[in-house]
Amino acid sequence: MARAILERSPAEQTEVLIGQSDDTLTRFTHQISNQNVAALGAQITVRAILAGRTGVASTNSVDEDALRALVERAVAMARLAPKDPLQPPLPVGKPAPAPPNAYVEATARASPERRAQLCKAVFSAAERADCWCAGYASTASSAYTIANSNGALASFEGTDAAVNVKMIGTDSSGWAEEHTTDVARIDAAAVAARAVGKRLRGAAPRSVEPGPWCVILEPAAFGELLAYLAGHFSAQSYDEGSSFCSEGLERRYFGENVSMFDDYAHPLAPGMPFDFEGFPTQRLPLVEHGVVRNVVTDSYYAHKLDRENTGHALPAPNSYGPQPLHLVVAPGTARLEELIAGTARGLLVTRFWYIRTVDQKQAIVTGMTRDGTFLVEHGRVVGGVRNLRFNQSILEALRACEFSSEQVRTAGYGFSTVVPAAKIDGFTFTSATEF
Amino acid sequence: MSDASAARILDTAAARGAEYADVRFESARSERIEVRNGVVAALADAASTGYGVRALIDGAWGFAASDDQSDAGLDAAAARACAIARAGASIARRRVGSPPPLSYVAEYATPVQREPSSVPLGERVALLLDAERGLHADARIAVGRAWIDLWDSRKTLFGSNGTRVTQRIVQSGSGVQAMAVDAGDAQTRTYPGDIGLYQSGGWEIVEKAALSENAQRIGEEALAVLRAPQCPSGTFDLVLGGSQVSLQIHESCGHPAELDRVMGWEANFSGTSFLEIDQLDRLQYGSPQVTIVIDNTLPLGMATCAYDDEGTKTGVSDVIRNGILVGYEMSNDTAREIGRESNACVRAQSWAFTPMIRMCNLNLLPGSVPFEHLFDDVRDGVYMESNRSWSIDDRRLNFQFGCEIAWEIKNGKRGRMLKNPTYAGMTPPFWNSCDAVADARSWFAWGTPNCGKGEPMQVGRTTQAAAPARFRNVAVGVGYAGGHG
Repeated sequence: MARAILERSPAEQTEVLIGQSDDTLTRFTHQISNQNVAALGAQITVRAILAGRTGVASTNSVDEDALRALVERAVAMARLAPKDPLQPPLPVGKPAPAPPNAYVEATARASPERRAQLCKAVFSAAERADCWCAGYASTASSAYTIANSNGALASFEGTDAAVNVKMIGTDSSGWAEEHTTDVARIDAAAVAARAVGKRLRGAAPRSVEPGPWCVILEPAAFGELLAYLAGHFSAQSYDEGSSFCSEGLERRYFGENVSMFDDYAHPLAPGMPFDFEGFPTQRLPLVEHGVVRNVVTDSYYAHKLDRENTGHALPAPNSYGPQPLHLVVAPGTARLEELIAGTARGLLVTRFWYIRTVDQKQAIVTGMTRDGTFLVEHGRVVGGVRNLRFNQSILEALRACEFSSEQVRTAGYGFSTVVPAAKIDGFTFTSATEF
Repeated sequence: MSDASAARILDTAAARGAEYADVRFESARSERIEVRNGVVAALADAASTGYGVRALIDGAWGFAASDDQSDAGLDAAAARACAIARAGASIARRRVGSPPPLSYVAEYATPVQREPSSVPLGERVALLLDAERGLHADARIAVGRAWIDLWDSRKTLFGSNGTRVTQRIVQSGSGVQAMAVDAGDAQTRTYPGDIGLYQSGGWEIVEKAALSENAQRIGEEALAVLRAPQCPSGTFDLVLGGSQVSLQIHESCGHPAELDRVMGWEANFSGTSFLEIDQLDRLQYGSPQVTIVIDNTLPLGMATCAYDDEGTKTGVSDVIRNGILVGYEMSNDTAREIGRESNACVRAQSWAFTPMIRMCNLNLLPGSVPFEHLFDDVRDGVYMESNRSWSIDDRRLNFQFGCEIAWEIKNGKRGRMLKNPTYAGMTPPFWNSCDAVADARSWFAWGTPNCGKGEPMQVGRTTQAAAPARFRNVAVGVGYAGGHG
């Protein structure tokens, strides 16, 4: 189909992106399934370029007439677009093979009954623990083919499976989840048991005073925080001056122990080995020992900034610039238990909620703790605390931190992070809530 | 999108054991144009056609969506919805779903003064190029953006109870934004409001925004904010501009009043709600000045339609009346649980998503004070406009919002400009501190095109009509309390 579209296009340069997905999810609450869904669909997007003028059109119809109209719409839009003198040729590269286990047949073929069994294991755990539960079990598969008239052709198939569990009691809640490409690796009972454990340990929560705290962010919490730094590593943000590192690369912004990568091939989160221009994605060091080494580029920003194309384009049309979609933080040497054991007084945070940027350049973000926040005293977790709001610069947090030795995949489809737990001194909480 | 296709799906679902089924065929067209620093960063036209089938078996719903309109595809989607429903029923501890109580045969279309498709594409692009150019008041405007979004959706809901409702929904939006960068600081100004002007209707909505006429002022304001002093920290009286009141309603009333949240259906993701059912008709949510209503018939409302995606007829109902919690945003299944009837607050993002409760149009009714008099008896306060940061806890109590721009208020007069304004509070005390809402002359239907909820995540388009309002003794400046800035 991609070749047929390219042959039919009268544009000087044409790119075709064909995406297909089958997403299924069984959501539950109070031991019933309240959203039980499946969606099968495809999308074909054409980018046409004529003398530096670009138009993009998409459709989900695959019949001959629809595809002919698709090309005509993209070309018509390109003819009306102003010329962009910086528009480079569509890139051509030789994509690497997909990393092992990016696609798992059993996940792609998982039935509603399979998801129901995962949910049932969670229900049983909730009932044994005398609480109610909410969450989901999901399985999904996707496929992309990208081709352009300069000769690029790349295809990828991937899968994703997840179980997400919140256990809720009278005065506390606990949460856990697991993301993988292989549904067979998901142990729903174990995930449920982790959530139950947090729910029980958090019972009868006490209030603590806001202010600067030593925090130990479990991987889910740290991954959520880090997601708000990802955009700073885009060449667009760097170029426009809104990134913390716009003042220059090859400078130390973080502590010596901070190393960060964009790695689509990490074994915990294997993903697509090329970007949405079909160009091979580099496994790229972003930060090495506290020094920012790279920002990610696509063909446009590589050309504009005279840097190498790192293969991080998003689908056209893209006004967000290139983005790192597979953040990985290098682990430390101590186990999570050792980080806790070495804490005189601090807070152990399971996850955050509703993080938003307060100050772009300083990377100050605000958000709430949620579903399992615990007081640590003399190296031991002594009980749950009511949730707190923080206002914290991520830059400052990464100047005084320590990482655990275990890495965990903390997010699913599209954007993943593989991170350890992080212990951070002087993390600023500004208020508390009632639960 | 034919009656025969619908009949085939409904027959297949019935044969597979569905006690009720419906299918929503939808064909949607969207256009996004964005100009960024003089370059057309997006000029895109998307078309999507498909259908979503809901099947009810033994009190459990199954949903399957597909874009395969062949007979085999229709049969497969119906069978898949039934298989999913049956799997859900097999693990459910109780029955929750029931067929809709009423059926309708009707048609509706958004009133459109000027069809967007009648405006030449070159004219649409030229408007944005001109507006974006106007933002660049000087070289410190590092990023200028101007954009238009156009949506046109035609959908028909067929129910096995005889419902056949066809609707055409047209929504349009546009805006400009300038980011000024200098001396290690970056400040952004957006117009209109904080996200642009989004309403139901055609090209007239884009024309009303008057982007080019306001672009230079917005660019100059972004530069002025760079130079402005930091907003102080402390307790102040607070006046919020209309678009910020709109967001305050959205986050601290709209989401907590979704009855599915109240019942725990969103507990693992969006969270639950402090507006618990035993508080109905009792909770003093806000001051007597605060009346918030659902109006899914509101002209220009982004969620305005004649029937929701369960086939319930839309109308007007109260959530907060003179400060008291009196209602929720409801679906058929959730309303039945509390002995009420749905108020048609169910929407799906597209054919590919199952319908669920959304806040739709939720409006703070105007008060009696002219906007310019809101400042009159404020001795020491802050006036904030245009949201740039928003966060609230998962029961919707503890919130913190930041705005793009503010002015101090001294002895009843608006004074110097301030940067980096933030304010925070707990929802009921905050709304109880509201002692004035501006009158109808400054009441405006502010649309939000990007409200997220549900798993899989769905994006909803909603309106919170509002006027500027005044709040007493509010915590201001907390966002920079960590010693930054």
